[in-house]
Amino acid sequence: MSSNRELAMTSYVGIGLGLMLIVGFEVILTYLHLPPRTLLFSLLCLASLEGFIAIMYLMHVKYERPILFWTIFPATLFILIFLCYIWPDAFRMASMRLLK
Amino acid sequence: MSQSAVAVSQHEVLMEASPYGIDKKKLGMWVFIVSDACTFAAFLFAYGYMRIGAPLWGTPFGPSSVLNGMVMTAVLLTSSFTMLAAVRAAQTATKAETNKWLGLTMLLGVIFASLHLREWFKLIAEGWRLFYNPTGGAPQFGATFFSVTGLHLTHVVSGVIAIAFVARGFYRGRYDQSHVETVGLYWHFVDLVWMFVFPLMYLMNAH
Repeated sequence: MSSNRELAMTSYVGIGLGLMLIVGFEVILTYLHLPPRTLLFSLLCLASLEGFIAIMYLMHVKYERPILFWTIFPATLFILIFLCYIWPDAFRMASMRLLK
Repeated sequence: MSQSAVAVSQHEVLMEASPYGIDKKKLGMWVFIVSDACTFAAFLFAYGYMRIGAPLWGTPFGPSSVLNGMVMTAVLLTSSFTMLAAVRAAQTATKAETNKWLGLTMLLGVIFASLHLREWFKLIAEGWRLFYNPTGGAPQFGATFFSVTGLHLTHVVSGVIAIAFVARGFYRGRYDQSHVETVGLYWHFVDLVWMFVFPLMYLMNAH
């Protein structure tokens, strides 16, 4: 169970405001008209930061035993990296004219 | 206590404690979350490489849609905090207090779904379909947008229904605080997924 080291509800308001600030920053980045690859990479980095904060504080992983974190996250990351590994297959799709 | 219940409780005494130190329902929810995260990641990766690979990708979202998306984000984020309040109330306060917060979370979930559907209907009215792009660009926009956001919307609606069941059971004494915690974990995951869906599906396609 989560321990009683959990944050007070007022601290969660700060976390919420921080998350909304990151969303605001994402919107600003969007209107800087960056190249799609740069924008995608920047938005993914910011979304990952938001996700990390949500997992640690909203989903309480920070207050659970470390073994939960070490069991779940390396395995999930491995799967996500493996998905990235098949990313170049998109170029094969493009040469098959599926994107026209 | 029935004979089978006694047998189960005695068996639990003999069982080794979970190394994770969490309730088995919560652990089950974590396993589900990992598998669901992989499903969403597969969808988003597929969308990502099509988005980068297509030379003429549709960008149908104007400032009003982006603003709508920001409001949706704020609504879903607020619902995560009302869910946190519900979990706290389930641990320390009364059933009525817990149900008040769960009800507020459901209401915010319904508002989110309504805003989302409004965006969908706006796109459909503009001529966007699953395999048709009215601007003449890559037709995959509709397929990726409606499938990813549709999958997320399904999760939101399922979450609202699940919260309603848990709230009813908790009020009647059939469910305890661990059920509220478990459904809360699911709801935070729905919020977490939106943190990726909004920038990738809305902001990447804004003009």
